[in-house]
Amino acid sequence: MATKTKVRKALNVLGFIAPTILAILVFNIYPILFNTYISFTNRNQFHPNPDCTITFTRILEPTCWGVFHKNAPTGIGQPFKIQTPFYKNYADLLGSFFTLTVLFAFVKVIICLLPLLLISTVNKWFDRRVDRTISTGAISAIAIVLSLILVVLLNFSAAINLIMKAGDFFTVFIHTVIYVALCVPLFFLVGLVFALILNTANLKGRTFFRVVLIVPWAASTVAIMMSLVWKFFFQEKGTINQLLLQIGITGKTWLNDPIIAFAIIVIVNVWYSYPFFMVTILGALQSVPVELYEAAEVDGANYWKRLLSITLPLIRPAIVPAIVLSSISTFQMFGTVWAITQGGPSRGAGTPGATDLVMTYGYSQVFQTSAYARMGAFAVIIFIILFFATLYSMRISRISKGAYES
Amino acid sequence: MNRKTKPIVRIIQYFVLIIAAFVALYPVWFVILASGRPGGRLFTLNLTSMFFPTEWSFENYKIMLFDNPFVLWLRNSFIVASCTVVACLLVATSAAFAFSRFKFYGRNWGLVLFLAIQSFPGVLSLVPIAQLLTAVGLYRNLFGLVLAYVAGTLVFTTMNLKGYFDTIPIDLEEAAMIDGCGPVQSFVLIALPLARPAIAVTALFAFLAGWGEYILASVLIPAPDSLKTTMVGMYKLANDIAIPWGQFAAGAVVIIIPVLLVFLWLQRYLEGGLTLGGVKG
Repeated sequence: MATKTKVRKALNVLGFIAPTILAILVFNIYPILFNTYISFTNRNQFHPNPDCTITFTRILEPTCWGVFHKNAPTGIGQPFKIQTPFYKNYADLLGSFFTLTVLFAFVKVIICLLPLLLISTVNKWFDRRVDRTISTGAISAIAIVLSLILVVLLNFSAAINLIMKAGDFFTVFIHTVIYVALCVPLFFLVGLVFALILNTANLKGRTFFRVVLIVPWAASTVAIMMSLVWKFFFQEKGTINQLLLQIGITGKTWLNDPIIAFAIIVIVNVWYSYPFFMVTILGALQSVPVELYEAAEVDGANYWKRLLSITLPLIRPAIVPAIVLSSISTFQMFGTVWAITQGGPSRGAGTPGATDLVMTYGYSQVFQTSAYARMGAFAVIIFIILFFATLYSMRISRISKGAYES
Repeated sequence: MNRKTKPIVRIIQYFVLIIAAFVALYPVWFVILASGRPGGRLFTLNLTSMFFPTEWSFENYKIMLFDNPFVLWLRNSFIVASCTVVACLLVATSAAFAFSRFKFYGRNWGLVLFLAIQSFPGVLSLVPIAQLLTAVGLYRNLFGLVLAYVAGTLVFTTMNLKGYFDTIPIDLEEAAMIDGCGPVQSFVLIALPLARPAIAVTALFAFLAGWGEYILASVLIPAPDSLKTTMVGMYKLANDIAIPWGQFAAGAVVIIIPVLLVFLWLQRYLEGGLTLGGVKG
């Protein structure tokens, strides 16, 4: 009897979640398996076609499956096969990373970042003690100063340059990390400033400004189209240069300068994303009790003190998930960058451009040079990194906790 | 905070807000201005016409709406986005309900695992998905695109709805269970009607995601023109030197105005957590 109800219950649950699991199997798990297999082969523009006599190809390649065989594309070119050594694509991407000098540079980078990585651990250690002798802010400040000292001492930028030269993968990966590290704090800061201003008492026209400042969020749902508009602003005969001509300056082609182009894709992304943070912070500010501020005022705390000790800690639970989510989506940024720079300005054929991020590089490799196998390897490496980063960030932000769990 | 704000602080606040409002609005305003300018005249040295409509004609709108496949693109996008919403909600509401209400093995880590698996970037799984759809004959087909979109938005939709189901007290369903209601009935008759606001907002965001998506659409339906979605078509228009920019702008206005209206209408719901409890600390 007990087993019978158990089976019924299990069938119930399965009935509810089976469609989801099916969709994830077909559109998420299958592409991962397929990419993993392809990454060991030599599939490229010269070897595009599947050879259905190879066991793995027969299993994973949809056009080899009996019923669908009639839809198989017929083209010229050799069939692809597993190459020797099987890890050749990975070796190409990682380049000379596993040589002594580059590994040494990598260790240097880790040492420079170590103080920042340790902030939360040290904080937790202090939290467990009965009396807290040093504040969270002070620990962060010390860590940042320590990091900066190490950056100067160990010649951080030279080490980064060395790693970036090691292989294409590192070039685009470091670009992307820099991009995320610039974008997300800016989202937060801009959103915070606007939210704090909009939250002050007796501000006339608050509703008007709140509505107007959300407009970029609406525009971001059609990001690729609005990015084309932004691109026009920075073109040689674009709006910025029109304005500059009014005061007698002939502007240059902004998007041809690697650093300015990178700054532009950061600015445009901030324009799209600050409203999300502004709205989230505004919502969180509503829940901060006014009594706390009154008490602090009685105790003589000034504005900055109140901001740092009351506002920020109390809105933290709402902010952390927003930061985690937007970090992940910024890492996977594609449309905006593709529309504005297409990864350029180019730095020579075959190498990633100055604004090539992970996704634009992958896209251009597949759809411009048909390097399927190489991109399979690229995708697998990116997936491993993102998979663990996501799991870790889910843990720290406890995003998936339900209402009744503590 | 302070009952009274100092005048100087107030002035700075308004200064920041006005600059910000200008930056937030100008790109959209620029598109509207460009759409009314006949021909390809964008580069103007006249300062007033960079900020105000000095000349206006509906020529560009006429060309876009009657001489281009633009209306077809709009129709395609609308079909794809609506089908995505319906399919996505059918699948996601039931999964969200299960994750919120039933205790089963894998409940706690299941969703997190799904999220982590979804971190496999869509751009990089384009080749296998395109091949799969080619094999089953859904390549260059709007419904193939719908399938890909549903899979893409599924996990986040489920998360949002699960968060909302979590906030609905379970008491009502328990009472119904005592009266002899099965899990399917309590889902359809009790939980779904109660979750209507969350379903509405989730549906809207799923719709907008389908409406503005570019990469999958550009790969899965690269041609013919009559099957393209709006974003793919507009991207091609903007990069086509032969087509005056004013026409692109006119199309952009037609696309962006409904989205803006929806956001303005929704903005009071946005505050207090867009994701309705799906995201919380």
